[in-house]
Amino acid sequence: MADPELTERVGELISQNPVLLFMKGTPSAPRCGFSMKTVQILDRMGVEYGAIDVLPALQPLREVTTELSDWETFPQLYVDGKLLGGADIVEEMAASGELATALGVEQPEEIAEEAAPESAQDLPAQSPPLKIEGS
Amino acid sequence: MAADLEELTRMVEAALPGSEVAFFDETGTGDHLRAEVRAPQFDGLSRIDQHRLVKAAVRERFDDGAIHALTIKVLG
Repeated sequence: MADPELTERVGELISQNPVLLFMKGTPSAPRCGFSMKTVQILDRMGVEYGAIDVLPALQPLREVTTELSDWETFPQLYVDGKLLGGADIVEEMAASGELATALGVEQPEEIAEEAAPESAQDLPAQSPPLKIEGS
Repeated sequence: MAADLEELTRMVEAALPGSEVAFFDETGTGDHLRAEVRAPQFDGLSRIDQHRLVKAAVRERFDDGAIHALTIKVLG
């Protein structure tokens, strides 16, 4: 299973960085759409965060996070030592204001304005018209 | 190998009795999926724990490669 030395190092990084993102690529050059989306949200929140590119050691790191957090996909955002979620959870929490609360910042005004059109664009082409009622 | 959306629905319903589940093929390739789930078991759980329950229910289909990516939408 997971390499014990790597698991220990990852655990240290998570506990030492109040906001830590495991992502594919780097914040300035994300190499996956979900990682890019998460970086954009964190940038809008205006918080400092550590970022680790998982691509050089994808499989070993996957084994480590599965063991530490029962989560094997990236990106993964850790806040105060706990896994908050991947891109979709982070996006939902950003829109609802929960992310700002978890990060201890004010909810940026543009998040609420941008959340609606962005999620509409994300809908697949074959999706029926979005119905608001009942959701 | 594309995932069988009906089978996935049954797997989640079996793991979370009383849940309402719908799977959607996001890309038309059968392996990038979206699940919309409402379940009584979600009450009081964090989002990540809600997602863990859904993922655990279909873990076999991640492990055998049928699912590459799964976006989960929890309905309140």
